[in-house]
Amino acid sequence: MHTLGSLFAVALTCAAAAGAAEKPAATQRNFVSCPIVRDTATVPCWLAEHDGELYYLGIQTDVSADFHPPFLGHRVLVEGALKDAPRICGGLVLEPVKVSPLAELDGTCNTILPAEDRYTVPFAPRPPGPSGGRLAFDPAPGAGPRTAPPPLEGPQEFVLYYDFDMLVGGRHSAVLSRIYDYASKQGAPHIVVTAYRGATLLSDGTLLVERDDLPQLRAREVAKLLQGAGLAPSAMLIDFVNELPTADGDGDWQARRAVVRVEP
Amino acid sequence: MRSPLLYTPIANDKRRAFIAAAAALAAAAFAAHSAEKPDAGAQWWPPGAGRTLPASTSYDNEHGQLGILNTAGAIDTRGHPFFEPIGTNGRACVTCHQPADAMSLAVDSIRARWEETGGRDPLFAAVDGQNCPHLPSDARASHSLLLDRGLIRVFLPWPPQRRDGSAIEPEFTLEVVRDPTGCNTHAEHGLTSPRPMVSVYRRPRPVANLKYVTAAEFGVGPFSLKDAQPAARDPATRKLVNMNMMADAREPTLTTQAVSAALTHLAMPAAPAAAVLERIVSFESQVYAAQSWHAQAGDLTAPGGPPALGPAALAAGRTSVLGNNTTAYVFPIGDVWRSLPRTGDAPHDAESAFRESVARGHDVFFLRTFWIKDAMHLNSVGLGNPVKRTCSTCHGMHMTGMDTANGWMDIGTTNLPWATETPVSPWAEKQPEMPLFKITCDKADAPHPFLGRVIYTQDPGRALITGRCNDVGTIVMQQFRGLAARAPYFSNGSARTLRELIDFYDRRFNIQYSDDEKQDLGNFLSTL
Repeated sequence: MHTLGSLFAVALTCAAAAGAAEKPAATQRNFVSCPIVRDTATVPCWLAEHDGELYYLGIQTDVSADFHPPFLGHRVLVEGALKDAPRICGGLVLEPVKVSPLAELDGTCNTILPAEDRYTVPFAPRPPGPSGGRLAFDPAPGAGPRTAPPPLEGPQEFVLYYDFDMLVGGRHSAVLSRIYDYASKQGAPHIVVTAYRGATLLSDGTLLVERDDLPQLRAREVAKLLQGAGLAPSAMLIDFVNELPTADGDGDWQARRAVVRVEP
Repeated sequence: MRSPLLYTPIANDKRRAFIAAAAALAAAAFAAHSAEKPDAGAQWWPPGAGRTLPASTSYDNEHGQLGILNTAGAIDTRGHPFFEPIGTNGRACVTCHQPADAMSLAVDSIRARWEETGGRDPLFAAVDGQNCPHLPSDARASHSLLLDRGLIRVFLPWPPQRRDGSAIEPEFTLEVVRDPTGCNTHAEHGLTSPRPMVSVYRRPRPVANLKYVTAAEFGVGPFSLKDAQPAARDPATRKLVNMNMMADAREPTLTTQAVSAALTHLAMPAAPAAAVLERIVSFESQVYAAQSWHAQAGDLTAPGGPPALGPAALAAGRTSVLGNNTTAYVFPIGDVWRSLPRTGDAPHDAESAFRESVARGHDVFFLRTFWIKDAMHLNSVGLGNPVKRTCSTCHGMHMTGMDTANGWMDIGTTNLPWATETPVSPWAEKQPEMPLFKITCDKADAPHPFLGRVIYTQDPGRALITGRCNDVGTIVMQQFRGLAARAPYFSNGSARTLRELIDFYDRRFNIQYSDDEKQDLGNFLSTL
């Protein structure tokens, strides 16, 4: 257990049972299974099998992508919507899709399928080796200057979304840096970190619920990281909400979050 | 003696212009070498040698010659704190950072020093030149890890401490499973001593080409891209640093590293004065090392040759550049060696054949894909596990092959099941050399994503600094320059040769290199 000292005023919201629909909408595919890698002539694609059907999750690109492939050696929670599109790499396309590698190791998840001529990914933005000079999802040369976002002013909220049952990972460095940059410019702002846990309604009607200590751990961790980076707010408050949200199988991942409010 | 030019407060662009000019002059000096092997400098620098380190010089090694370039010009080392024994045990910085060994320390040099001095060279000081200080200093066996693998004892407090000395609560417990040096279980030096210490054994890193090692303009932010933990800062300026120094990134700057090294390796009773530190850091920041002549490839620095080779190329190169692309390249060697004519002159044709092998080896490094799997802080940063990539994915920094920022990863050099160790059996005469620790991660935390909750390791690496389970066995990757001069390789010296280094990767990632690919890759690495 991490402790943060006396700076924190801790609030606790009691847990309550989640409301849930019986099953997600027919177009949703929410399930837990082993991820599968299929090699291609360029980058590999990622798949998962559920109820005898193969689903396409995404391809390997690089750290600029929204889709971060899962891990062999772990089962994965897939939360996706069936897209009316041709199969890719043999799988029905889920888009949008969120994948969460589950924490515990599972050595049975070890399938790498060989490349076959019939499976191609011509839309891959970069090859499996060196890039052409930019990351996969950076603007192309000549695309013109990026439109700078308007400068932030006043109270701002930043959101960290989590993989299922997980705490902060490397991909959170971007949003944490944005929080740090904005809060630093405010001098000594008030910062309130509020963390939640989520539940996902699987396609078979099962409700998958995150650990009940996660909201507290998430809130404390985010506050500790911001302080560890050197932020010196006038007050750092943490709040954690154990109450489970209503899960209907559509966008349930959005409940797995921490919200950081910076008040100048 | 320092060049007054570098101590005049000149604008950065003028300083860069000066360095580029110095590099160009040095390049011309190297280019003046014919294909004949140049004369080499005296190999070993004892502390207080009182010699002059030329602006550019060469040292023999197994593959040819290493070039050393000092962009500030020749240095009279008399009174220079990098070269003088400023502590109490007779050592200087140069003891473990020898110019002939690419400013690191080759095991061949260590053995030669043992033979020449009967083990009385300050290099073999009890504090860390022995497997443990309590062992008899005159026995070779007391120094076996230094003599056989080039390893210096690094002793760190347990549990880990922050820079202010406060304790970090680790996410795991640490047990000693095997203690061949006797140090981790020793009553005075071990984990249960009054001041609990962990002893691990690591190679000295090259103190050259450091503008690349310390550059922090790419991929460096308030939070590490690897794990979103707060990034380290220069305690003097509060500026972010790239955390690419040392195997465990425990020291943020060259200055703090010099203080730490002086207090431990040199046994100074107190930190060096600011002026002394400035001279050390200034020297370290102006010296470049790379292979400059190759026994089979000839002059590596001739005009029109591969632009990445030789120390002058390093001095002139750009820092904080990601080279894992076809615009910058990690090691830009061009096409000049890709297809060379044959003349019928056997030595010429042999040189041409070797140069073509080097070009092919570059392509093996840069373009040969394989599945990178279960490598913490690579597969875990959003690329997936496994990821189909090449060597240059991790070794992506332009000109050095380091990571561009926060370069610690676990590729299995110290963690089981991949770490190299002598197998035990009823028939084995040789016994395991390295300590073995059992790490048990806290049940309350998520397990290590690739190794689970119980990990066996020879060196917990960065986890000894952070206390984090996910950092067990993660090691900051080293630069690739001057490799021919400083065997053995990896932080624990487990690869005696470049071929063993390649074989480790081949085994670890099931790359299935052909013999030709291994040969070409080894030849390429030997020219860097």
